[in-house]
Amino acid sequence: MTDMSAGGPDIRPAGKESSLLAGSARTRARNAREWRMKAYGIGAIVLSLSTLFFMLATILMDGVSAFRQATISFPLTVDAAIVDKAGNRNPEEMAKVTTIGYKRLLAQGFVAHLAAEGIDTAGVPEKDLVDMLSDDGPARLRDMVLADPSLVGQVVEVSVYATGRIDGYLKGRVTRETAERDTNVTPEQLDLADNLVAAGLLTMPFNWGFLTGPDASDLRPEASGLGVAIIGSLYMMVMVALFTVPVGVAASIYLEEFAPKNRLTDLIEVNISNLAAVPSIVFGILGLAIFINFMGLPQSSSLVGALVISLMTLPTIIIATRAAIRAVPPSIRDAAMGVGASKMQVVFHHVLPLAMPGIMTGTILGLASALGETAPLLLIGMVAFVTNYPAGPLEGGVMDPATALPVQVYSWASRSDPAFIERSSGAIIVLLVFLVIMNVAAILLRRRFERRW
Amino acid sequence: MKEPHILSAFDRDLEAVQAYVLRMGGLVEQALLDAAEALETRDEALAQKVQQGDKAIDALEEQINEECARLLALRSPTAGDLRTVLSVMRIAAALERCGDYAKNLAKRSLLLSNMSPLGGTSASILRMARTVVLRLKEALDAYIAHDVAVAQDVRTRDKEVDQMYNSMFRELLTHMMEDPRNISAAMHLHFIAKNIERVGDHATSIAEQVIYLATGAMPGDERPKAEMLSGAEPAAGR
Amino acid sequence: MMDDMRLVERDVTQLQAKIEAKGVQVHYGEKHALKDVDVTILDRTVTAFIGPSGCGKSTFLRCLNRMNDTVASARVSGKITLDGQDIYDPRVDPVQLRAKVGMVFQKPNPFPKSIYDNVAYGPKIHGLARGKAELDAIVESSLKKAALWNEVKDRLDASGTGLSGGQQQRLCIARAIATSPEVLLMDEPCSALDPIATAQVEELIDELRSQFSVVIVTHSMQQAARVSQKTAFFHLGNLVEYGETGQIFTTPKDPRTEAYITGRIG
Repeated sequence: MTDMSAGGPDIRPAGKESSLLAGSARTRARNAREWRMKAYGIGAIVLSLSTLFFMLATILMDGVSAFRQATISFPLTVDAAIVDKAGNRNPEEMAKVTTIGYKRLLAQGFVAHLAAEGIDTAGVPEKDLVDMLSDDGPARLRDMVLADPSLVGQVVEVSVYATGRIDGYLKGRVTRETAERDTNVTPEQLDLADNLVAAGLLTMPFNWGFLTGPDASDLRPEASGLGVAIIGSLYMMVMVALFTVPVGVAASIYLEEFAPKNRLTDLIEVNISNLAAVPSIVFGILGLAIFINFMGLPQSSSLVGALVISLMTLPTIIIATRAAIRAVPPSIRDAAMGVGASKMQVVFHHVLPLAMPGIMTGTILGLASALGETAPLLLIGMVAFVTNYPAGPLEGGVMDPATALPVQVYSWASRSDPAFIERSSGAIIVLLVFLVIMNVAAILLRRRFERRW
Repeated sequence: MKEPHILSAFDRDLEAVQAYVLRMGGLVEQALLDAAEALETRDEALAQKVQQGDKAIDALEEQINEECARLLALRSPTAGDLRTVLSVMRIAAALERCGDYAKNLAKRSLLLSNMSPLGGTSASILRMARTVVLRLKEALDAYIAHDVAVAQDVRTRDKEVDQMYNSMFRELLTHMMEDPRNISAAMHLHFIAKNIERVGDHATSIAEQVIYLATGAMPGDERPKAEMLSGAEPAAGR
Repeated sequence: MMDDMRLVERDVTQLQAKIEAKGVQVHYGEKHALKDVDVTILDRTVTAFIGPSGCGKSTFLRCLNRMNDTVASARVSGKITLDGQDIYDPRVDPVQLRAKVGMVFQKPNPFPKSIYDNVAYGPKIHGLARGKAELDAIVESSLKKAALWNEVKDRLDASGTGLSGGQQQRLCIARAIATSPEVLLMDEPCSALDPIATAQVEELIDELRSQFSVVIVTHSMQQAARVSQKTAFFHLGNLVEYGETGQIFTTPKDPRTEAYITGRIG
């Protein structure tokens, strides 16, 4: 017995001097392979990082300018002869005056101010002069006056968007060469714009209207904003969270802790995994068929959007939650069972609190991906052109037509006016900021809860 | 003494075997003194009591061995604990031999009680027994206290007992040469003296166990001896 | 006398039976994990189960508080009684049983909560305390019994997972005894601990013996020798030998026991 351990063949290579200082050919080859593997990895990371950087850079370069907007400011006398023909300051009668009247008022004030300032308007007919102001201006002026009839007869300082072309000129998108070929703008108008900038009338302030305003038509890209899309996305996210978290967590707990292990539960498991991989457009069709055609819910409403997105997010949340529950060490379950806790107590006193960071992270990431979802929303009509804000959530606003951020990006990107390109990039920036906020929230929540234990 | 073990049952076990040894030591000391006393006073009842008492000593030794085996099996003692158990076993063996000598002394004292006394020899035996018991006691005290100095002292003073045995030997030789009828009694008395001298040797070996227990090594120097080997000196006188 | 005390301490013949197992068989699916085990576990005694891995000792331990119920494929047959009551009777709620038969696991597994909440959890869910003061008293006495009170009394709000391994295991023991069980099952309670912590837990087990019946499964024969009064040797699902610990370790009757404890079979 004992001589067996002493004997055995000599496995050292015969006749080969092996020095620790001079690596053998084998070792060198192995090290080279290791080095190559590392190089591949670094290459892959550099490639993906540079792609990401390029993408972000493009979007930022295209989109940042959307947050500033060419605005013309000048004082204006609210002529009672135009806005209040009856002269009795009765808001109902004043409301009969349409934007056409206000447009005249605006034009009148603008021309008068230019004359007063002594700005050279040579070569620009008065019609072109007035066309430099956005069509959005009269509407805003009207809203202002109707809200406060005491302004009639007063001199008010108004700020009106310049048209998209002037805006484009200031942002470098429109040049004199393009202006010559463009029916919407003349080179003389651009000269005048330069003069206005010099006179301090034409400025580029931060454009809150881009974040709060509703969408606008092709004719006045300068007035379009993300307000409706942000509200729609917000409504949807809140509803998706309300629908999916209770359902997803309950389903996960049942499947993980209570369900017997048999063919049926196996089938359910496989189906959940498969559902997570189903193309989102399919959910759109499902939503269209069930919620709109069958249940008769209103098209384009954020409620239907939320329901569809919920269906889509649920499998992700169930998978994340189950993984989090499964990650709770079995020793904790044993410990609780060992002191006589019932199954319910084990789950609710120990497993869920421990799985909570994982569940929340999974949920927030699921919501974040839902926030960026476009395809199913296209099918249920959320791509519609919506210029009215949905009502508050308690007043049934979830049934009102709304749109969502990614859909807004899509619809702007498909419009013809080049001013919308800039705006869709701007919308992407807003969307990315929301996603970053959600991811940071996920990280913070996880940290906070992990520290507690 | 030392820090207690974290596992207090271990301490209890160790203390228990040591308590057995001390109790055994007490029994052996008493048996030796009683036997010598019985010889001196020709007290047959006392001698018989000593003979009976040896059973208890043997039983104790057996119990100590069993406890030590248990301790080794259950607690796997190491270092000082291991030496404690080993020394306990050796001391128990030594004491058991001493107990046997006491029993033998008692047996011979019963025989001697029917013979005429041989001068002051039995008084010398008693003195010798007392000295030896004192050594034994000192050795066991040194064991309790783990006192190497006392143990060393016991070792060196074994000479005294050896010298007492030597003078005893000469005295008995003289008696035998004076009158051959004394030979039988003298032979018994000689064996008794020799056995008591042996007890002294066991006391020395117990002292050595103390040194082993305390230091982890047996004393290296040759053990001091005054006993004559093969009766060299008295034989010269013959 | 000291020596007499040791004998009394070791004398287990006077004690009453706490758990009696008759013809216990356990199957995990196709696997026959435990074959016809008969054991009588005495009150106020530490009983050790030893044997090679997969011999069925942990399986049997888990039968005693029906932890095997949580394993879907496990089937238990035979009869196990606690104080004469069949614990596998359909009327028995395992939750209630587990309050009476506490368990300590291989890896220290305190709840990721405060030390106080760890100990108070059992009494809370079983409604053993009326009011905060009573709960405080239970926590204190349990921690004292587990020889942990002095180390943690100033930081009961600290997390139980922040303690050292040995302290965590003693915390788990405190948690188990807080429900005042009658039997304490321990599944290799020291396998994740260093020798000093192990010795502390063993000392604790020895002390607990005065109040509970302790059943301990251990891989370490030395541990079984150190802490138990009775030892059962399991091999390949069979109970090979069951007897007084000193007897098992000095003069085992079955050659398989001898071979195992002397390191000849694994």
